[in-house]
Amino acid sequence: MIGRAVANEFAKMRRLRVVPVVVAMVAGVVALSCFAFTTPGFLDSVGDPSGQPWQWLLGSMSLAVPLTSPILLAVLASRQVDIEHQANGWLFSQTSGLPPGYVCRVKFVATGAVVVAATLAQSGLVFALGTLVGITVAFPAGQWLGYTASIVVVNLVLFALHLLLSARIGNQLVGLGVGVLGVFVALTSTGMPTWLARCFPPWGYYALAMPVDAREGGMVWLAPAHLSVLALGVAGGVLFMLITRLFDRQEA
Amino acid sequence: MGSVRAEFLKLKRSLSWAVVVLLPLMAVITGAANTVVSGGRLEDGWHTLWLRVVIFYGLFPLAIGVAALASLVWRVEHHGGNWNALMGRHVSSLHVVIGKVAVLAVLAAAMQTVLVVGVVVVGKLVFALPGVLPAPYFLVSVVIVLACLPVAALQSGLSMLMRSFAAPVAVALLGAIGGVVLLMTRLEVLAVVVPYGLLGRATQLGTGMFVDSGTVTTGAVAAVVVAALSLTAVVVAGTAAILDRLDIR
Repeated sequence: MIGRAVANEFAKMRRLRVVPVVVAMVAGVVALSCFAFTTPGFLDSVGDPSGQPWQWLLGSMSLAVPLTSPILLAVLASRQVDIEHQANGWLFSQTSGLPPGYVCRVKFVATGAVVVAATLAQSGLVFALGTLVGITVAFPAGQWLGYTASIVVVNLVLFALHLLLSARIGNQLVGLGVGVLGVFVALTSTGMPTWLARCFPPWGYYALAMPVDAREGGMVWLAPAHLSVLALGVAGGVLFMLITRLFDRQEA
Repeated sequence: MGSVRAEFLKLKRSLSWAVVVLLPLMAVITGAANTVVSGGRLEDGWHTLWLRVVIFYGLFPLAIGVAALASLVWRVEHHGGNWNALMGRHVSSLHVVIGKVAVLAVLAAAMQTVLVVGVVVVGKLVFALPGVLPAPYFLVSVVIVLACLPVAALQSGLSMLMRSFAAPVAVALLGAIGGVVLLMTRLEVLAVVVPYGLLGRATQLGTGMFVDSGTVTTGAVAAVVVAALSLTAVVVAGTAAILDRLDIR
């Protein structure tokens, strides 16, 4: 049954214009990340390891992601859930044997897959554009892939949070407002010590996943807290299941 | 005037106050928190505090806040049979559109007031800065409110056309990113004819960031004000013309 329900969610996405929102998310991150190309001297140092071109790109991307993702994930969740509020979809689904919590889980599987694809696409596109402008310095695959994996986890947890918020509170201003405030928290967390950033899940975890930072002498590698991000993913998953089970027991 | 009063009545039970109060306060709190957490000092007093609060706020959150308010203002028209009631109105389309933009202008002014009060309170209580916020920043605040008008008019038009609450906000984010790219690449002329770029430019007045010279000049202020008023007039006229051609659902 879940297969048909997921297929149904994909069908809803066609009319909800999810593709333009996802394209905006990818294009926003790629545009802000590739702004590094316009900084003086960048294109001259694409073959020079001391110019740290990949580090600059990764650093730009780790600022672009928390700038755009919280709002666009809130928009995605809101779009996917608002139709159920507007057209009494919760009640319709329940009478078809799909309680509200189950619908939320199905929405998470379907739209979550799109979020994962978009996150992988933005990381891949930044790498591709870096290669296209001629960066010949050794590619830091470990750090790049580690960051991408961490961002996938944080994005999914944030998306799950917004899905629950949008499902629980009919006024979509609340979900979007939380998304905008999340951008402030995510960016402020980048300047916080690790222990403090951990206190602001899930937005603070964008900062914990950062693999590089700009210092006076150039870009320096950081030790991203991948384990903390993993713990966030597990805790987020458990909480999402528990809360959606609660939704199942309530009347639509 | 009746249209404007009606729009305010519709807002009475909405959550618009949350955007008006929380968004600028969040900008002030994060600007101050960044300074405290990094252990940094406000080297140039009020100027540094203003810069830390308003630059990022003007690049993304302000446009998105205005977009959310525009969605909120039009939300009521898309509910139940309200759209058909709107189509059977006695006032002209222009009056309806101006009423919506007027409400958004007042809300934008309220947001800017909260921001300025927040900066003054944080400057005095947290950083013990001498005196008060310098006068040019009050002028800049008025210019920022005026620069909000084209964004408000454009977002109002988008929210009129889109029934979804969130979709126009996504457009605003994309527009804000476009505005940031224009300002970062120093294409000032292009930036001031794009509503989102103009808003970003207005918030940078006197800061010395991106395309700004660092001082509030008459020329820069006049350019932003003229562009803001012209863009608003064009977008309001366009939105009214579109509304004229819309029909019942």
